Amino acid sequence: MQDTDLPPILVVDDNHDNAEIIRQYLEIRGYPITVAHNGDEALALFETVRPALVLLDVMMPGRDGWEVCRIMKQHPTLGKSVRIVMVTALGEWEDKREALQLGADDYVEKPFDLPTLATTVQRNLAMRSAMAS
Amino acid sequence: MSDYVLLTDSDDPSITAAVGQLESWSVQHVAVSQLTAPIEDASVRAVLVVTTDPTELRAATERAHATGIPVIIGCVDDTARRRAVELRAEEWYRIPATADEISARIHSAVSRGATIGAAMTDRVERVEYEEMLHDAMTGLPTLPVMIERSRALFKERGELVVLYLNFVRYSKIEEIYGWEKLDAVLETTSAAVREFLDDTAGPSNARLMVSFTNDDDFIFFHVPAAGVAAATESEITDMVARLQRHVAGRIEAQHGDDIAALFDIYVGRSHVYYNPKIRLERLIYRGIREAAKAARSIEERDRARRVADLRASLRERGVYIDYHPIVVTESQEIYGYEALARGVMRSLRSPEVMFDVAAEADLVWELSRLCRSRAIEGMDTHLQPGELLFLNVDPHDFNDPAFNEHEVKYPERVVIEITERTAIKDYPKFRERLRAFREAGFRFAVDDAGSGYAGLGSIANLEPNYIKLDISLINGIDTNFIKQNLVETMVKFANDHGAMVIAEGVERAEEFKAVKELGVHLVQGFFLHRPSRAPAAALTAVRR
Repeated sequence: MQDTDLPPILVVDDNHDNAEIIRQYLEIRGYPITVAHNGDEALALFETVRPALVLLDVMMPGRDGWEVCRIMKQHPTLGKSVRIVMVTALGEWEDKREALQLGADDYVEKPFDLPTLATTVQRNLAMRSAMAS
Repeated sequence: MSDYVLLTDSDDPSITAAVGQLESWSVQHVAVSQLTAPIEDASVRAVLVVTTDPTELRAATERAHATGIPVIIGCVDDTARRRAVELRAEEWYRIPATADEISARIHSAVSRGATIGAAMTDRVERVEYEEMLHDAMTGLPTLPVMIERSRALFKERGELVVLYLNFVRYSKIEEIYGWEKLDAVLETTSAAVREFLDDTAGPSNARLMVSFTNDDDFIFFHVPAAGVAAATESEITDMVARLQRHVAGRIEAQHGDDIAALFDIYVGRSHVYYNPKIRLERLIYRGIREAAKAARSIEERDRARRVADLRASLRERGVYIDYHPIVVTESQEIYGYEALARGVMRSLRSPEVMFDVAAEADLVWELSRLCRSRAIEGMDTHLQPGELLFLNVDPHDFNDPAFNEHEVKYPERVVIEITERTAIKDYPKFRERLRAFREAGFRFAVDDAGSGYAGLGSIANLEPNYIKLDISLINGIDTNFIKQNLVETMVKFANDHGAMVIAEGVERAEEFKAVKELGVHLVQGFFLHRPSRAPAAALTAVRR
């Protein structure tokens, strides 16, 4: 596999099983995956991992996904280029509106199937490279 | 007597030897299943795992980390090493390893593990506080940073001039176009401000520093050079006038005159003298407050002038209409025009500013009447027969007895746009008024649809013929999938309810392509046409 060129992804989910399933599924597709299990850990890893994309669970104890999204998007150097995909069980209008307000780029509705997740990841990474060029 | 225990699932003799090299350490060999169970023994200070089963490895590592115990992983191959990195074990080594190496790994894992918690908090805080030190958008330092930087200079020179630049209408930009637009405008502004500072030596070759307050104000510190008097009032006035021209020019070039017309700079100034008895930051904050107050009082004087301008405009019917074409997405044929009222006087050019001033002076109905009659007058001269006129009507206007369904010659050619932003108080009465207009032949559009969190329910209540999407949903829709999803939802909703969706604020080819693919029926925006007072025939020639 010539997968080493694929950009790094940060998966943030307080549910270890979910995080693990996502990690394995995306890893098989060649993405370098780092997992964080809460908002603080995600922020701590943000500058180390420099992810091209963050899969961010909304409902987490402590610092929730909305807050993590807002802080990441305001990062002076990484904020502009990172694509943030919110993972949420709430597919209502106001949640999407909230996601927009905080700078998120896309969302995946829970429960999701893994191919949908992969498609979402792909289209956001494609958009990211299109915007960079 | 050993104080510290290393727990391991390995019976590798080099591990035993390694632990033997460490002072007051001992080793306990256990089955891997015991590593995944809660660790009760408080003397356990490190865990060394060698299992090749990834699930057990993960469980053991996470269990140890959850208890705050550092983990060393012994790896048989590259895959195991990769796992160790992913699991963020404090240390790993390749099997086989010497006792020396293993003891070194244990040692460093323990010293690193001790800082796990603190190091992580540090990094979180750094990421979090970065935004508080430097504004992400403008790249300018925030006030506390600037005060720190100017401290020495201020003390040395003994005086400091504070300029407070209040950019008044910026909040309006966010309200109308969404935060992304305001961010972009602020970026342009700060770039223009920095550019200006680079090109200008500043008054009396002084040091000028600038910071941004995260809202929409900029603060300048001007510290006069040694032996030189601080800038005089007229030097400052001159500098501010040049700055204002420079910034306005940049905004107009990059964001168009509609946005440029929304903004004004008011500058307040204060002079602070060093006083060793008073804390320096307190002095500076006081100076800033004073300067901000001065800026506000200038703004108030200006408002009073604008109210006078508005009264004069109402007397002389000093309002004209720009007609902004709305086209069919598929064919790009002109479908109708939105009437945009503008003040003849320069200070009232922007409709938002004009209506703001009217609201302050309790002249909203009068201004609305003038704008409506101007827009309707132009139907005969500016519109082709059959083309629709989209007319902005504030929900409060329905309470104006002068506004009624008999006001217009061709009601069937008029679409009344009602904004979603204004809260409607007496809903039953409002709906009754709408029905009277509808029966007379008028059609309705919900303006700024999707701007709020309310969703589709409130739109359905108005039974609109047209749904006009909020500009913030269109701005950059080509790169944001959430916006695409929301617009798609709206199009589906409209199709189910026999309404048409209008995308306004389409400025780029990519945005046009995106809304077209999403099935948006009608489009309005600079990409296709600019608003114009010219008759439709002339406009057709401009069409791409």
